[in-house]
Amino acid sequence: MTTTLAGGRAARRQTMRRIRPRRSPAVPLLLAVWAGAAAVLWLWWHNTPAVADLTGQVLGAGRITGLLAGYLMALVVLQMARVPALERRVGSDRVARWHAMSGRYTLSLVVAHVFLIMWGYALQAGKSLGDIVQQTVDSVEQLPDMGKAALGTGLFVVIGLTSIGPVRRRLPYDAWYHVHLLTYAAVFLTFWHQITTGNDFAVEPAAKTFWYGLYGAVTALVLWYRILTPIRLNLRHRMRVEAVIEETPGIVSVLIGGRRLHRMGAEAGQFFRWRFLAPGMRFSSHPYSLSAAPRPDMLRITVKAIGDHSARLRELAPGTKVWAEGPYGALTAQRRSRGKVLLVAGGVGITPMRALFETLPGAAGDITLLYRANTTQDLALWDELAAIAEERGARLMYAVNSPEGERPDISAENLQRKIPDIETHDVFMCGPPGFAQSVFEALREAGVPARRIHHESFEM
Amino acid sequence: MRKSHPVRRVVLATAATVSGVVLLLSLKPASDPAAASAAGAAPQQTAAGQESPQGGARGAAPAGSGTVTGDAAQTQYGAVQVRLTVSGGKITKAEAVQAPKGGLSDQKTQLAVPKLNQEAVAAGTADIDSVSGATYTSEGYKKSLQSALDRMKPASSGTPGGGGAAQARTVTGKTVQTQYGPVQVRITVSSGKITAAEAVQAPKGGLSDQKTQLAVPKLNQEAVAAGTADIDAVSGATYTSTGYRQSLQSALDQAGG
Repeated sequence: MTTTLAGGRAARRQTMRRIRPRRSPAVPLLLAVWAGAAAVLWLWWHNTPAVADLTGQVLGAGRITGLLAGYLMALVVLQMARVPALERRVGSDRVARWHAMSGRYTLSLVVAHVFLIMWGYALQAGKSLGDIVQQTVDSVEQLPDMGKAALGTGLFVVIGLTSIGPVRRRLPYDAWYHVHLLTYAAVFLTFWHQITTGNDFAVEPAAKTFWYGLYGAVTALVLWYRILTPIRLNLRHRMRVEAVIEETPGIVSVLIGGRRLHRMGAEAGQFFRWRFLAPGMRFSSHPYSLSAAPRPDMLRITVKAIGDHSARLRELAPGTKVWAEGPYGALTAQRRSRGKVLLVAGGVGITPMRALFETLPGAAGDITLLYRANTTQDLALWDELAAIAEERGARLMYAVNSPEGERPDISAENLQRKIPDIETHDVFMCGPPGFAQSVFEALREAGVPARRIHHESFEM
Repeated sequence: MRKSHPVRRVVLATAATVSGVVLLLSLKPASDPAAASAAGAAPQQTAAGQESPQGGARGAAPAGSGTVTGDAAQTQYGAVQVRLTVSGGKITKAEAVQAPKGGLSDQKTQLAVPKLNQEAVAAGTADIDSVSGATYTSEGYKKSLQSALDRMKPASSGTPGGGGAAQARTVTGKTVQTQYGPVQVRITVSSGKITAAEAVQAPKGGLSDQKTQLAVPKLNQEAVAAGTADIDAVSGATYTSTGYRQSLQSALDQAGG
C-alpha cells in the first residue's frame, strides 16, 4: 500500500521534473523598449532649452516624432531579424503582430515628423503652412542626406500602402513580400539624415554613438540570423523532398529527408519557413509546421491546399532541393506548466498538435486531443492519431459537423462534461482565428486561466 | 487571445502620442535660461523673485544686457506682468508679457500697453502716468514695473540712465533657432557704433562645425563693417547666416536705435 503510493508519487514527480515552464521574455523585452523610448525623449528634453512660440512647438513636436520614429524603426527591423529569443521564446506569431503594430505606428510617426518639421522650417523662414510644399522641396535640395531620406520615406509609404488589409489581400503574397523587403533599403536611406541634420545628434556626440550602436546591432542581428544562420543550416543538412502523400482531399504531407536532421534542434510544435527549389516556387518561403516529431533522417510537414503555393506542393517531385529556415515557434512542450494537457486542433491546425500529441511526456490519461473538422473525411492523419492514442493511453476526441451541416457545440458545459477536471489542464491550441477565439472563450468560461491557454495565430 | 479592438487601439495610440508630445512641449519654459547666462548678461531673470547671483558685483564693469521680469500684478481684469530689457543699466525696452485679455479688455490692453511701454523706457522709473480709461491695467503695470526695477537695482548700481551711456557696452541679441541649432549674436557698442561682433551660440556637431568655423568669422567682420543687420549671407551656410542676421537685428534693436 505504502509502496504503491510512493511509487505513484515518484512517477508523478518524474513526469513533473520534465515540466519546467519557461516564461516568455515578453515582459522584460517590452520594459526595455519603453526604457529606450524614455531615453530618446530625454535626449530631446536635455537638448532643448526652451520652446518659445508656435515655431518652437511645431519644431519640437517634429523632433520628438522624428526621434521616436528613428528609434522604433530599428526595433521594427529587429522584430523580423529571426532572433531565436523572439521566435522561439516569445513566439513568431506574437512577434509578427508586434511588428505589424509597431510598423504602422512608426510609419504614422514618420508622416507626422515630415509634416511638422517642414511646417516648422516654413514658420522659421517667415512663411506659413501654405508654403510647406515649397519648403519641403527646398529642404530636400539644400540639406545634407535629405534626398536619400525623401526617397526612403517614399518607399516607406509604398510599403505601408501595400500592407493595408484590403490591398494586401489582393496582392499575391510574393509581390507583397518583395515590396516589404524594400524596408531595408528605406531604413538605410533614411538613417543618414538623422545623423547629419538631427539637432540632437549634432549637439550630443554620445547620442550619435548610441544611435550608431542601435542600428549597428540590429544590422548585425539581421545579417547573422536571417542570412548566415540559414546558410549554415542548409549547408549542413542538405534537405530534399522524399515523397508527397495525399492525406485527405486537399491536405498533403511532404516528407523531407536530409542529414542529421535531429541536430537542427527542432521540437514538436515548431515550424520552418520552407522554400522549395522548384520552378515557380523558389522565390518565396512559407511557414509550415512539422506534423511529426523530427527524426534523424526525416521531417514531415502537412499542408492544406489553400493558396497558390500550398496547392503546388502536391506536384513536388521527389529529389527537389529544399531550403529551410528555422526552427521557429514557441508552441512547444516548454510552455507546459501542468501534468495534464488538452490539445485542441481546428482543421489543418492538427499538424503541430499531432507532433505534440506524440511527444509530450505524460502518463496514461494525461494527454487529450480534441480535433475539430468539417466532416470525418477531413480528419487528416486520423489513423496515426488513433495509433498514438492507443499506444500512449491518451484520449482522442473529434468534433465534426452533423450530416445536416450543423456545427458542433464546443461550449464550456460540453468541455466540462467531456473533461471534468479541465481547469487543471494546460491547453495547446492551433486552428483558424475564429475557431481559436470561440474555443478560447469556452475554455475561459470552463475555468482554464488564460496563462495556461497556449495558442499560435498568424492572423495580424 | 483577448479580443482585439483595432479601432480602440488606434484611438488610444494617437491620443497617447499627441498628449505625450503636447505635455513635453508645454513643460518646457518659453525662454531659455541657459542661453541667457551663457551670454553673460547680469540681471537676466526669467523666474520671478530671484536675485541675480552675480548681480551685486557688477558695478564698474561694462554693463551687460538682459531681461528682467517683474512680478505678475493681479488686477480686476487679469494679471499684468512687465518684462524689461536692460542694457548698460538702462531700460531699452519694456513689454507686457501678461495683460488682461478678452472682450473690452483686449481693446484697453491694445490701447494702454504700448503707451505704458514707451513711458517706462522714457522715464526709467515706475513713476509713470496712468493711461486714462485703463486705470486698473496701468496700476498693475506700474506695480509689476516697480518689482522689475527693484530686481535690476543690484546690477545697475545707482541711478538708471547714469554715466554708463558713453562707455562701450555689450548687447546680446535673442537666440534664433535654425535648422541646425541656435544662433545668438553679441555685439559691443561704443558711441553708437558696433566695435565688435561675436556669436555666443552657433550650430555645432558634424558638418555644422565646419560651416560655423567658415561662416561666423566672416559674419562678425561684416557686422562690424556694416553697422547694420543688412549683411551678406555666407554661401554654403545660408541658415546660419539668416539666424545670425536675425539675432544681430535684435541686438541692434536693444542697443537703442
